[in-house]
Amino acid sequence: MISENRSLSIMINRGLSQRLASWARVKSPWITIFNSGACNACDIEVIACLTPRFDVERFGILVKGTPRHADILVVTGPVTKKQASRLRRIWEQMPEPKYVIAMGACGAGGGVFRGLYHVMESVSSVIPVDVYIGGCPPRPDEIISGVVTCLNLLKEDLDHGGKAWRTTPASAQATEETV
Amino acid sequence: MENHAGVGTGDGGNRMTTIQEVQQAFTTGSDAACIVRNRVEAAVPPARIRGEVARARKDFGFDHLIQISVTDLGATFQLIYHLTGPHRIVLSLAVDVPREKPEAPSMHDIHPPAGIYERQIHDLMGVVFTGHPNLKRIILNEDWPQNEFPLRKDWKPEPDRYYGGVREVL
Repeated sequence: MISENRSLSIMINRGLSQRLASWARVKSPWITIFNSGACNACDIEVIACLTPRFDVERFGILVKGTPRHADILVVTGPVTKKQASRLRRIWEQMPEPKYVIAMGACGAGGGVFRGLYHVMESVSSVIPVDVYIGGCPPRPDEIISGVVTCLNLLKEDLDHGGKAWRTTPASAQATEETV
Repeated sequence: MENHAGVGTGDGGNRMTTIQEVQQAFTTGSDAACIVRNRVEAAVPPARIRGEVARARKDFGFDHLIQISVTDLGATFQLIYHLTGPHRIVLSLAVDVPREKPEAPSMHDIHPPAGIYERQIHDLMGVVFTGHPNLKRIILNEDWPQNEFPLRKDWKPEPDRYYGGVREVL
């Protein structure tokens, strides 16, 4: 009886702590920036986001120096073949749930570096990407908009209980439900 | 004082090397060498390049290596050693190394920063610098295939060869 009560209270507490963590995650996402071979224009625009003119910290967006503390990984640039394994390793170090934003034309499809001997096709060929921000480089307001889009996605995922609903096609979901 | 050909001083009052002296010492009469007022270009055979760079450093104050450039000219690779010093004259010594046997002597003991350039050239162009203590990869990824030099004009990636990156797709 006592053990049942305790497990019940743990479950309730876990639910509460989970809800609290989700709330905190949406309210104050911590991001980390990874340069996977960018020309630095994207990085400079990100810096412009952080400095007082745009100041994303007023929205609770904090930049962290380590992927282990981050919820969102912002990848700038095409992924060079040398950076690919490093990017994968950085991504693996992030705690779940993790989100990836690929920044700029290069992050989406290589940009001007597309097809060169030393770049991958895109960020998504190395790690799964949730949000793309277009532009070369994207303006700071576009970056903020991208992060906000990512947060909305995060909220939707919380409602669906994970990321799976996005990757499985609608037809497969329907058959799962009928079965 | 004689004309210094517009070359500024910079060695703290010692007698400056003049561009005429450099031209006289490094170029033969046949090649028109002086391009702009503070630059001298000279072609040097591979066997003499070490001696010429050492002489430029010892006797003419060329104590600074700006860079080593390399060009794929088809039959040869052209290495150009760009040197300068407190007199601000830029001396460019060009060496042609044959494509079949791309070897050049290392300059790491005369100009220590040359070692880094030589590693880059070895990595991307495949020129072997004899006497270099640590001629290993510096720019390309570690799993790049051996004996593939992407900056050579005749290089094409093999369609089904693995050039690095990540093997397992998520």
